Amino acid sequence: MKSKRFEVLANRPVNQDGYVKEWPEVGLIAMNSPFDPTPSIKIENGRVTELDGKCRADFDMLDTFIADHAIRLENAEKAMALDSLEIARKIVDINVSRKEILDITLSITPAKLTEVVGKMTIVEIMMGMSKMRARLMPANQCHVTNVKDNPVQIAADAAEAGVRGFAEMETTVGIARYAPFNAIAIMVGAQVGRPGVMTQCALEEATELMLGMRGFTTYAETISVYGTEPVFMDGDDTPYSKAFLASCYASRGLKMRFTSGTGSEVQMGYAEGKSMLYLEARCLAITKGAGVQGTQNGSVSCVGVPAGVPGGIRAIAAENLIAMLLDLESTTSNDQTFTHSDLRRVARSVPQFFSGTDYICSGYSATPNYDNMFAGSNWDAEDYDDWNIIQRDMKIDGGLQPVREEDVLKARNKAARALQGLFRELGLPPITDAEVEAATYANGSNDMPDRNVNEDLKAIEDMMARNVTGVDFVKALDKAGFPDVANNIYNMLRQKVAGDYLHTASIFGDNFHVLSAVNAPNDYHGPMTGYQISEERWKQLSDIPNAIRPEDI
Amino acid sequence: MDQELLMKQIVEQVMQAMNNGGSVSAPAASAGGKVTSENYPLSENMADKIKTPTGKPFTSLSYEKVISGDITADDMRISPDTLEMQAQVAESVNREAFAGNLRRAAELIAVPDDRLLEIYNALRPYRSSKQDLVDIANELDQKYGAKTAAALVREAADVYEQRGRLKKF
Repeated sequence: MKSKRFEVLANRPVNQDGYVKEWPEVGLIAMNSPFDPTPSIKIENGRVTELDGKCRADFDMLDTFIADHAIRLENAEKAMALDSLEIARKIVDINVSRKEILDITLSITPAKLTEVVGKMTIVEIMMGMSKMRARLMPANQCHVTNVKDNPVQIAADAAEAGVRGFAEMETTVGIARYAPFNAIAIMVGAQVGRPGVMTQCALEEATELMLGMRGFTTYAETISVYGTEPVFMDGDDTPYSKAFLASCYASRGLKMRFTSGTGSEVQMGYAEGKSMLYLEARCLAITKGAGVQGTQNGSVSCVGVPAGVPGGIRAIAAENLIAMLLDLESTTSNDQTFTHSDLRRVARSVPQFFSGTDYICSGYSATPNYDNMFAGSNWDAEDYDDWNIIQRDMKIDGGLQPVREEDVLKARNKAARALQGLFRELGLPPITDAEVEAATYANGSNDMPDRNVNEDLKAIEDMMARNVTGVDFVKALDKAGFPDVANNIYNMLRQKVAGDYLHTASIFGDNFHVLSAVNAPNDYHGPMTGYQISEERWKQLSDIPNAIRPEDI
Repeated sequence: MDQELLMKQIVEQVMQAMNNGGSVSAPAASAGGKVTSENYPLSENMADKIKTPTGKPFTSLSYEKVISGDITADDMRISPDTLEMQAQVAESVNREAFAGNLRRAAELIAVPDDRLLEIYNALRPYRSSKQDLVDIANELDQKYGAKTAAALVREAADVYEQRGRLKKF
């Protein structure tokens, strides 16, 4: 006889997910592997001669880069001599300041960082996040893409996402040659939704930089680093090329962060028998050593790997905490779809959502799941109200707020019309009134008419050959009768001249006022300290249109 | 620091603060002091000290000038001096590695977009011989005065050689 109870359970979404038993020898283990190196450092004549049990003669390229660039040596021997458990306890001790923690954690090795967070429960990791996050107030980032690469829909979805509160927006492409249109569309839409939103377009490294140089984007994030040398080579880069690339971005006044995550190495077959978390700690050390202000990490697009092994979701939170312990801007994934279970996908986001991180999602899909070109997201447009209600339930600020339908429709329509005008002024294939109308009311690309893709691609090629830049978008929008949108794009270009937003964990508040870990540093040290939701903000977060008013009864 | 010079600087700062009605703790870069987090954001607190790489004052940039064509894309870029000031801000909040990146970036402003992309690609694995990388380092050093960027490329050349990541013939 079969149990009816077990039959019901077998059919639950959670049992459609894939799971695997630990296999530490090949690196199929989230953290606390018996094969992770024992932390150590030896410094002779100001030079690291031993790192995590390896002497310099045996260093691979990553060890060399980390030893030469990533660790503060003055204090290293003292910090390494501290008991890892003692460091872990200091992290959750409200009487030990963020700065005191950084004095230790910026001076220890990847194996030591891994050992420290390995002593912490998920709740302690969350307490650590509350204290160690770089910026005072949390924020959120979204994806704006669609399967048709329809630029009108991108502009409308970005405008809506701006109204809903996102501080950063990322697009990418189905067809690579569409990239310039997608980048323009997300920028125009974002600046209609809320002035000061930063936008990016995820592409192959050199192309992404080129678009940034020309003023099509304001920041970049998909600069991948990996935790073993063979995987780094497979990714067609080295720590040195990536460090050089980081400086290229800053030389053009563009904000950038690296990206990495647990599971990428074992997925690509070269984990060298180390835990996912240790290899991620190496990635973060490389990020620090390259002098980059921040990271997008938290397994990201490899989330299926750690999610399949025991303790994997804890490890994802632990890797976010390591980024914070290295004083990096932490942009904490919660993006790619990894489970069929709604319960599991919420639980996966609890550590970052409830503790607050610099960017909780990277990103939240501002479209239906089917339109997300980063392989779906853990949070989609369909979940907007769930996110808002969870904020209201828990009294937390996850970077979004409830909105009114008429405000959203107004913004979507204006963004579509602004893009229509810009296309007209730049001599690009026309955007019809029917497309504007469809984009205003659309949920996803199923609601959009098709564009002539060949004509678009030809126009893009021609536009790029004409050397069109961000300044031309400003002029075109002005001419098209959208001076306010043009002015916002001008202001984003102007920020590149000053470079304030290059700093750790920057976002723009009202009037393009930059808020970063420099002028808005996290100073949490226990109850009633750190970021406090203001009365005004709480009203915004809690005021949902569908709540019954007691006075009406 | 020389005691007398220190006193002189303090007096100058006090005088300046009285003129501005501002705080004493925010020395201007031109007074010989370092830029710090107190001056940040520079676009608001030190706008008069920022210039474009084309030599135009940051305060002279305007929307109207972009529309009229008086300001072009070449003007809307960051200058080496501004990146140096931002590096000093980073140092004042103990972000030395980040400050180092900003200084390396300041050196690379002079390198044209296309050349910069070529150099990045040359640094990818198996793209360059050791001599190719040494030549790039010399170019960065001699043509652009990009000393720290050149040092990074030299370092890469040595490490790539040791690890067998140079171009294979």
